[in-house]
Formats: sequence, structure tokens, C-alpha cells
Amino acid sequence: MKSHNSQAFDRQHVNGLLPVDAVADLIRAGAHLSLAGRPQALDKLPAGNWIAGTTPYVMAAEGSRTIGSDVLFVTDLSPYGDVSFACYGPDELERVSGDAPENGFALTVVPFGSTCHTRFANEASSYPAAFLRPAVGWIAGVDLNEAGAEALVYDGRTATAHRDHVVVANVAFPDDHMAQVEIVNLFAPDDAAVIRFEDTGFAPEWCEVAGERRKFYDVVVERDRTDGSLPLVGDFAGAHLNASIRTVDAEKGTVELYAPVFPGVDYSFAKPVADYAAAFREALAGRETDGLVMGCNCILNYLFGKLEGQSIGEIAGPVTFGEIAYQLLNQTLVMVRAV
Amino acid sequence: MALPSANSPCWQRLASGGLSRLRTDHLGTQMMIKRLERSTDPVGKKAADLHEYFSKWERGLANEIAQLASL
Repeated sequence: MKSHNSQAFDRQHVNGLLPVDAVADLIRAGAHLSLAGRPQALDKLPAGNWIAGTTPYVMAAEGSRTIGSDVLFVTDLSPYGDVSFACYGPDELERVSGDAPENGFALTVVPFGSTCHTRFANEASSYPAAFLRPAVGWIAGVDLNEAGAEALVYDGRTATAHRDHVVVANVAFPDDHMAQVEIVNLFAPDDAAVIRFEDTGFAPEWCEVAGERRKFYDVVVERDRTDGSLPLVGDFAGAHLNASIRTVDAEKGTVELYAPVFPGVDYSFAKPVADYAAAFREALAGRETDGLVMGCNCILNYLFGKLEGQSIGEIAGPVTFGEIAYQLLNQTLVMVRAV
Repeated sequence: MALPSANSPCWQRLASGGLSRLRTDHLGTQMMIKRLERSTDPVGKKAADLHEYFSKWERGLANEIAQLASL
């Protein structure tokens, strides 16, 4: 299999932007697609073999940008193997990995702010098949300039939008390939005392620092991290996984995160990154991209890293409101390859 | 190096703390290790889960599998 990054209308190599009419043609031709874009564009598509999520932000080889309703980001999954589709409600999320192919992965799209989002984030790593049949994907979002907009996912089989379901494209690879799930996380832990949490959740009230029980809000203020630009970095047996700060409410003394923290994990705040685009380019320069199926990058990297108009390399994909590599991540570039 | 069989004592040893000494930068393996560290499952269940995990990903985890017997 080859790397699939192109903006050309090439049936075998589509992983880029296409006009909505061209996407509709692909669907009518029977292609198996994963799509990202504005709801006004997705609402125009015929039923077929596709899933989608809303986001108007994309990263592309020539630079990340905001797209209009005339184009969609298209990943054609057809060249990689057998593709089937599923849609699950909040009480069925264990099936995301449970029903995933024995050899391949479950390309998973979840709407931001939904019950599915919260439950998947809290539970995904404990599902029995979580690390046997990986879920890889992203959290659908909104145009941040559109007040009141809602994140949506689409089950293309019926061309139906959902606010609280998860849509999945199960991509089954041939026997001589397997899924390689990779991340690029620019953030390294700082040198301050680690932070530990008592409970799983998006809004931790208490934590422990150097043996002392503290209000998490007080720690965030004390460490001057109230602007939310730098995430918490969890140490997962050497893997650095982020939980980003969503709100810090001085009146209530509360902190809300974009991903849950977990007991039994050492967290630190991240060291600052001077130049996100350069750091991504450097990190990706040494990476294999053969067999790249899909990638996505976080809206917080796009915003805080001022990535609009900047190229970070050959990886293309949606800019998302959370990333999935087995479980929910934040401020991370995720990619999956068939190797 | 061949993957130890499911009844090898190495899996119980790994599930009882030996995994903390595994050197790996494989994302799924790191996250699996953390899951097992945090889990309250009995050691036997963790050992079985580990064997299933390494069996599944054997082709991509040669470096990790080469360490298993010595951990």
C-alpha cells in the first residue's frame, strides 16, 4: 500500500479536499469514505458507504485552513481492505472496539459535548478489546465563530445526522498488514511536582501534589496555567497523553478539562512550545508515512500554535475537537498506518 | 524470539509488576501497561490479557517480546 495524500480526484489516492459534487459522485460510485466538513455540505450528500463528522478546519500539505461549504475533506478507505459501517448510542460504546475487525481498526467519530463523548472518554481504555482492535479517530466540532452551532456525526448509510451517536468505519486489512497507531505530541512534562487525581473525570476538584491534598483550581492558578494553552501531560507507562484545560472559573474555583484525568496516572503541566509548526515538521520528518490511512490534529494546536496557513508536513486530515488513539486524547496529532 | 506460551510463568510475573521494567515506545503497549497497572483484576486475568495482547501484535513487537523472559 502507498501513502495516500493527494488533492487530486484520484479514486485510489483520495485523502484531501474535494468539491461536494465530486464527493457525491464518489458515493454514488460505491466508494467507502470518511468525511469531514461543514453540515451544510454534508447535508447535500446522498446515502451510501460513508461516515462523517463536522469541523470546518483541516490540515493539508499546503497549509491548514478553514474550509467553506463547497468542499469536504475526504479519506477514501476503499483501497485499504474491506470496510463496513456502524452507528452506536451512548449505551453501546463498548461495541466500537468489540465489533471492530480482527485485523484493522475502527475509524471512530464522536460528536463533541455529547453523552457519547463523555462516556467514551471515561471508559474506552477499559473496554475488553480496546487494545486488541483499536479505535482511531476524532471528535467532531463546530465553527468557533458560529454561536450555538452543534457538533454532528453522520451515518452515511441513511445520510442521517446524529448529535449523540458514534459513527464507525470498520476497516479490515488484508492478512499481510496490521494497524500501527501513532501520535505526535509536542508537549513534554515540566519539572514541577507531579499531580495525581482521586477520580476519573473532566472536572477534577481535588488532587494530590507532593503528598498534599489540594484544590486543583489552586494548583492551576499557582502554576500560572489558567490560559489553557498548555495541557496536563499524563505519564502512561512512558507515553505522554494530554488532557487540555477548557475553562478555569475563578468565581467558582473550578477547572474543566477537554479530556478526563485518571487515578493512578502521574500528571504534569506541559513545558511551553515555541513554534508549533516547526516542532511538528521536525517530529514528522523522521516518521514513516508509508501506508498512512488517516490523520487528524487538534483544534487547540491549530489555535494556540497559529497553524492556519502553515504546513506541518505531508499529513493531511481534519482538525478536530479531540483525537482518538485507543482512548480520547487532546492537543495531539494522531495517525494510523497499514504496515 | 518466539512468544512464550500462555501457561508460561512469565505472564504471571509480568502481570505482578514485571511490566514496569519493559522498555518500549509502542503506544498501544504503553497504554496497555498503564491499564493493567490501574486494573483491580486478579493477576491471572491480567496474565491472560497480556498473553492475548502480545499474541495479537506479535509481528510488530519483536523488541518487546525479546525482553519478556528476562523481566
